[in-house]
Amino acid sequence: MSPSRGPTRPPATPLDPTEVAAATLACLPGITTARLRDLVARWRGPIGALDAITRGRVSADWQRAVQSPRVAELLARRHPHVYVKGRAGYPIVDDLPGTPEVLLAEGDRVDAFERPRVAIVGTRAATPHGLADAREIGGVLGDAGITVVSGLAIGIDGAAHEGAIDAGGPVVGVVATGLDIVYPRRHRTLFDRVRAHGLLVSELGYGVQPRREAFPIRNRIIASLADVVVVVEATARGGARITAERAVEYNRPVLAMPGSRRNPAAEGTNALIADGAEPLLEPSDVLLALGLTPGSRGHDTRLAPEGNAALVLRSCGGESATIDQLVSRSGLAPDEVAVAVRELERGGWLERAQGLCWPR
Amino acid sequence: MLAAVHSATLIGVDGQPVTVEVHVSQGLPSYSVVGLPDTAVRESRERVRAALLSSGLTWPQQRITVNLAPGGVRKTGSGLELAVALGLLAAADELPAGALDGVGVLGELGLDGSVRAVPGTLALVDALARSGVESVVVPTANGAEAALVRAVHVRVARTLGELRANLKGEGEWPDWAPAPLPDHDPNDDEPLDLADVRGLRFARRALEVAAAGAHHLLFVGPPGTGKTMLARRLPTILPPLTPSDALDVTRIHSAAGHATNGRLVTARPFRAPHHTASTPALVGGGSGRPRPGEVTLAHRGTLFLDELGEFAPTALDALRQPLEERVVRISRHPTSLTFPAAFQLVACSNPCPCGLGEPNCRCTAASRARYLRRMSAPFLDRFDVRVRVTAPEPNDEPGESSDSVRERVAAAVDRQHARYADWSWSANAHVPAGVVERLLPLSPEARDAWRSLIEARVLTGRGAARVRRVARTLADLDGVTAIAPAHIESAALLRSDVP
Repeated sequence: MSPSRGPTRPPATPLDPTEVAAATLACLPGITTARLRDLVARWRGPIGALDAITRGRVSADWQRAVQSPRVAELLARRHPHVYVKGRAGYPIVDDLPGTPEVLLAEGDRVDAFERPRVAIVGTRAATPHGLADAREIGGVLGDAGITVVSGLAIGIDGAAHEGAIDAGGPVVGVVATGLDIVYPRRHRTLFDRVRAHGLLVSELGYGVQPRREAFPIRNRIIASLADVVVVVEATARGGARITAERAVEYNRPVLAMPGSRRNPAAEGTNALIADGAEPLLEPSDVLLALGLTPGSRGHDTRLAPEGNAALVLRSCGGESATIDQLVSRSGLAPDEVAVAVRELERGGWLERAQGLCWPR
Repeated sequence: MLAAVHSATLIGVDGQPVTVEVHVSQGLPSYSVVGLPDTAVRESRERVRAALLSSGLTWPQQRITVNLAPGGVRKTGSGLELAVALGLLAAADELPAGALDGVGVLGELGLDGSVRAVPGTLALVDALARSGVESVVVPTANGAEAALVRAVHVRVARTLGELRANLKGEGEWPDWAPAPLPDHDPNDDEPLDLADVRGLRFARRALEVAAAGAHHLLFVGPPGTGKTMLARRLPTILPPLTPSDALDVTRIHSAAGHATNGRLVTARPFRAPHHTASTPALVGGGSGRPRPGEVTLAHRGTLFLDELGEFAPTALDALRQPLEERVVRISRHPTSLTFPAAFQLVACSNPCPCGLGEPNCRCTAASRARYLRRMSAPFLDRFDVRVRVTAPEPNDEPGESSDSVRERVAAAVDRQHARYADWSWSANAHVPAGVVERLLPLSPEARDAWRSLIEARVLTGRGAARVRRVARTLADLDGVTAIAPAHIESAALLRSDVP
């Protein structure tokens, strides 16, 4: 079995010669974005570039590579969609520096590119709070039929994809490897779900393994594909910060979710807000940023807690706390706190995870 | 020219009566031991010979055969040497007829004829008493321990020569002093008390519940928050050992070779193996003679595992069977052994490799996952009480003293003893799942609270039974007959999803 399952059915229309040539160029061994752009510019398009390589005018290695049937076999087996810069259907319309010449995509929902797109990115070391937020924002967008773009990483990325797919929305997962590689391995199932409910996208050819440097380069694609970029949790220096910087460069609105200064996973987002990013206070703020009107969703239907429960919720101080801390701050007996915590949990005011109480 | 002497050998932590038969006959001088002796028993020849000669006795220049019956049991250690020597004397008619009838003999010999102490005296004498001997002769140092078995008359031997004279009716039997009471118990060089712990009222409550209902307990928290401090104070709130449990514990520790100085062990064992402990060190076994592991040494007491995440995963998973069955079964050809292991497990762990835990954790998801993999879900499931601990708040006051907590615990334990008088267990934690519904009934309100936990998927099926046992302990601590909804809610919080 190949490392990951390919699309289950061939696309409705077979690839035209330009698309085949572009895909073949993208799959050349060791090719870079810049090199590909130069080739296409010099030989006036993918077909010309491929022709030049076949005639041995560029490199002997590549000549051998394009003469082997490997790429043709891959294209026949995996049926990728091929998006070539400057042609109809290419998802990035504005002229941005570093836009990939070719994007390869696999998946069952080509309409994912035809809708408004919102990128949700964040740290891999997310807190339960952050994961819940990413899931919820993904769900709100999925409900509204808006495409969620992310990077399929552990943490915020994965939670955003999951939330959107669960809500029935289209998703786009941009990976930093070949489309036949699953990285991280733990997201095997998520990769398959993204293929079934959207598109898996890469500028890299088949068989390209994960490399450290490839991820920041991939992040610029996420930023350029999105109409709005949402950062849920980010550490001071991390991939999510890079995505946000690219988004600013590309004139995409950036929304960041504020967090406690005690939370290292909120350092990056708080810094973004200080630098001028829009704070995201409600999941529906994303819809406003897209110029849409949020529906009736989002109204708080929870009953306000009373008595001991209210006291215990206040004792949380908006941050996660152990039962010991709640007992100490509220002055109640342990058993009274236990009853109050369960009441808050039933009422949707509190979540328990990792032995801590998290107010919501 | 045949003599038989009663003695005993250790199998695991139990005694096994052994009959030492000595046959002396005409033939080329030789000495052979038959009947599954181990190397230490085989080596006895040189010691027995030297001891006899040093005591001014003769070594028969004849064909000597020593048979250790029953033949199918492996005999271990040097405790049979005195019996072999007396058998030789009896076979050579150096002892009056009938001097060894109904007498059990234990002891190792020195080359100078002195009689040396043997490990496991309590278990050995107990086995001899059950097999019907009326009196035992043991080394002087073991006299007090042997006397813990009330059914037999205990006499002691200092040297082989003196013992021979005593058996012939010459001279006074030596006295054995009752065990000296040490003025200072080495175990409590630092008097511990719960009053030393500030704040942490919920964690203290967890400790109290664990003590009262014999529930296994897990504390998870960053370093320096007091989880180890709390756990180490568990023995200070446990009720004392019952007399029969004390005898069991003494027998085990004596058989494991720990000096008991002939005193009954009355303090509950508290075993704290280091996290490098191997699987056999924890559960028992090992090559050759299977030895009791930490779980057996913690029988009727506490097994404390600090830094749970640092233990070998295989060693932890090996604990699952003794945790459930409260015995360890060790199978080694040709025998299989059962060691008692009714211990209470108390463990501490950091929430993740960096130790800080949410919300300050700086671990990557991968390193955290790797750390948590060491503690398998089925193993963590064995803990009825799991609590996340953080550092005390600045204005927290010192808590209750151990004495007042112990009173509540003792009352709850008494209540459980009365409830389970007709059953084979005596603690809430040990109520089998099959009778939880019958023995731990819930009022309609409490049942609603319990149901809502299951419906909210806070609990799995097994978790639900465990919560009920803990709720019962909470009710016992409150001194009430019926489990209240508050007990169910508290029990659910005492079993959080840490780490």
